[in-house]
Amino acid sequence: MIVAGFCFWRGDGLALDLSRLTPFPFALTVDRLSAFFLLLICAVGAPVALFSSSYVERHYSGAKADSMWLLLPLFLLSMVLVVTASTAFAFLFGWELMTLLSAGLILIDGDSERRRHNIFIYLLMMHAGAAAVIASFLLFLPHASSLDFTSMRAAAASMPAGLRTAIFLLSFVGFGTKAGIVPFHLWLPKAHPIAPSPVSALMSGVMLKTAIYGFVRFTFDFLGGGPIWWGYLVLLAGAVTGLLGILYALTEHDLKLLLAYSSVENIGIIYLGLGAALVFMANNAWAWAMVALVAALLHALNHALFKSLLFLGAGAVSDAAHTLDIELLGGLLKRMRVTGTAFLVGCCSIIGLPLFNGFVGEWMMLRSFVAGSELPAISCAIILPLMAGVLALIGGIAVACFAKVFGIAFLGRPRSLAAEQATEVAASMQVAMTLLAASCVMIGIMPGMMVSPLTVVARELLHTPTLPNAALSISHTLPLIAACVGVLMIVVAGFRRIKRVTPTWACGLPALDSRMQYSSAAFSKPLRKTFSRVYEADRTVDVLYANQPYFPKSILYRSVRTTSFERSLYRPAVDAIVNMATRLRKLQTGNMQVYLLYIFLALIALLIFMRFA
Amino acid sequence: MNLAIDVIQALLLVAIAPLVSGVIARAKARMQNRRGASLWRPYADLLKLFRKQDLVPDTACGLFRLTPAILFAVTVTAAAFVPVLHPSAIFGMSGDFILLVYLLAIGRFFLMLGAMDGGSSFGGIGASREALVSALAEAPLLLALISVAILSHAVSLSGMVLCTVQQYPFHLSAVYVFALGALVLVAIAETGRIPVDNPSTHLELTMIHEAMMLEYSGPSLALIEWASAIKLTLIMALLIGVFVPWGMATSASITALAIAPFVFVLKLTALAIAVAVIESSIAKLRMYLVPDFLGMASALAILAVAFTALMR
Repeated sequence: MIVAGFCFWRGDGLALDLSRLTPFPFALTVDRLSAFFLLLICAVGAPVALFSSSYVERHYSGAKADSMWLLLPLFLLSMVLVVTASTAFAFLFGWELMTLLSAGLILIDGDSERRRHNIFIYLLMMHAGAAAVIASFLLFLPHASSLDFTSMRAAAASMPAGLRTAIFLLSFVGFGTKAGIVPFHLWLPKAHPIAPSPVSALMSGVMLKTAIYGFVRFTFDFLGGGPIWWGYLVLLAGAVTGLLGILYALTEHDLKLLLAYSSVENIGIIYLGLGAALVFMANNAWAWAMVALVAALLHALNHALFKSLLFLGAGAVSDAAHTLDIELLGGLLKRMRVTGTAFLVGCCSIIGLPLFNGFVGEWMMLRSFVAGSELPAISCAIILPLMAGVLALIGGIAVACFAKVFGIAFLGRPRSLAAEQATEVAASMQVAMTLLAASCVMIGIMPGMMVSPLTVVARELLHTPTLPNAALSISHTLPLIAACVGVLMIVVAGFRRIKRVTPTWACGLPALDSRMQYSSAAFSKPLRKTFSRVYEADRTVDVLYANQPYFPKSILYRSVRTTSFERSLYRPAVDAIVNMATRLRKLQTGNMQVYLLYIFLALIALLIFMRFA
Repeated sequence: MNLAIDVIQALLLVAIAPLVSGVIARAKARMQNRRGASLWRPYADLLKLFRKQDLVPDTACGLFRLTPAILFAVTVTAAAFVPVLHPSAIFGMSGDFILLVYLLAIGRFFLMLGAMDGGSSFGGIGASREALVSALAEAPLLLALISVAILSHAVSLSGMVLCTVQQYPFHLSAVYVFALGALVLVAIAETGRIPVDNPSTHLELTMIHEAMMLEYSGPSLALIEWASAIKLTLIMALLIGVFVPWGMATSASITALAIAPFVFVLKLTALAIAVAVIESSIAKLRMYLVPDFLGMASALAILAVAFTALMR
């Protein structure tokens, strides 16, 4: 962490060449981009480790605790390796290790049929993504002398356009799978919720960011931007991912599943920033490209902080109330003050309220979208400002989503006995969450301390002198606004001292109970109805009547949301692969002579190939 | 001097806000052939509420009492963004429209939470409906302001106002019409007026804003009422400032500064009466037609943005 901070602020490069120790070229370099992501990993890793200390103590014993303590630091190290690697081999080594270790960490909590299925999908998609990443590395080979990052960067400049596009598309798909952009997000809501909470915090907070790192490294550092449609493609991916992510999150009642979908949304927001940066670069508007890039990177850091905070909060809730179904929670803020307050800070940050960190990145992004109107190309001048509308819509639905989460889970009456008996979690967990919450507020009020070093990172990538002044104004305004709001609140608080506690108004009935409260499903109903085309819910209502038609004996209501991607994109693909595999199976006769024939034929084919090649 | 006017105009907005509610109520009463209450009635109401006890539901925690304070503080801060008497404001230059829009979102978010802390179903109803309205209103609001920002080459509210005030009314770009249309529709939704919400209803079928503050009483209720009046006034002042700012003191002369408050109050009264006319002549929309209403606002806002680019 010290190394990261040092490099990030001082900007000195740091290189470590281990090639002599390994059979493959294996070198680590910390430049400013790496240092930033290193800082991100450490800033989240330290509180998560603190949180895990008591989490592991409470949940695991013996071999499980040992394997948790073995795998967790290794998982962190593998991510450090990914962001510091400076050769393709080291990068891919870390990349694969990261996937496998996280799968191992998920398996600690048991391996039921459903979990195995989810992990299988996770690993399958990760390897498909990794294949695309490996392919994009290999495409450098004809032009680069070796696969270390310096020669790759040099080679990219002299490549033909078609090859550059191929590399861009492959890295877009490869890293997009890891980041969870729609339609490659399928694994994310399957894998994240079933992991232990500290691991979910790391997976959502940090592991997704390594994919952002990879994409930025490839597209901005190696390729140095490209034609304008690259930017449009990334913008489109960001807009679709953000909107669908938050719409799916809105309907979930499982706290961790909801947070996983909201990670999809935030990745979408980061991609919106990256896309805007690419569009500006294609138009040679370097200053604003820098703003958009800084905004995207800042949002990556912010998301790492508040999402790990929220996942740790979910861990604390499941510890205290033994459930993550928010329909069974309620009234937790009264019973768990520290956890509740930290979770509230996380909610305020994630929906981008001013004075919390989520706002700063979104503000810079919106500013760059508005500045897009000054680009010469008409299409850019229309599309970029409209993206601000998309971002605002995402933000508006996020407000609804997190008002639901906090309002249902933490406020009002407890909806179950377990929630009523919940007590505050261990001190070290509280400290971990408080640390993260404090950093969210600090960046929210004084964004300058993150924005100016990030400017240096962006300068190294874009080779542009500096940020436009307009994009920095926020760092002077926010402290003033904070002071203004603070003073007004103190003044106003003086007005009301007398307070009397009374029962809630129950329309004259004897008493309210928790079943009369609004439920999570009811809360999201208006928005679900508005966006019903997105959800395509399969609803069945079975009503059993006793005698009269007006007094049903029982009503069974079932509503299943099938994600249309699963149905229309993945199902045919899986079917096709299975179909092909069945056909290929005919080759496997089990007869030794036939296999010898195959070897012989292959040999002849190779000889013929060598003769003519 | 400038700072003094900035502070005075912010205070003016805060002080005049209950009067605006009074004017609307009086005008509505007149249209219904009633005499109506005094114009100053909202002030008396606030005074009465401030003297009362603060009742807190037994399910609620600290957040319930914190919410009115947050809502009021944020709304007053937002009022310091809007140029009223001259094309400048305390946060008029440094703070931009994005910050203003998101500041108002803070108050809304906490009001939803405060409503759900009461533990009755009314709070949930109100919060859920407010979530729908605010989720769909944010995009057209931001887009309409963006189109104005692009036309005036400024992101600060001062810059936008200055750009309009320096032109003759008929020299303004036609795009302003689209932006105005979108902003008026959003303003109706944001401030909870008919046809989106009915501020004078007490029926659970129609309540949005009223349902959220049902559990509040005494000084807390006063703060919420006052804050929503300020919000209504500041959005009206925003519309006036961006679309019809003429009469503002563009120079520092005494006469201009003396005239400006009267012109502003006149325009505000006209807008308040317009609101009363709309509220008396239109029925409230069904809840599930509100998305269509806001969809229309979004369409206008998108057109406004597209035309700014096409008409460069």
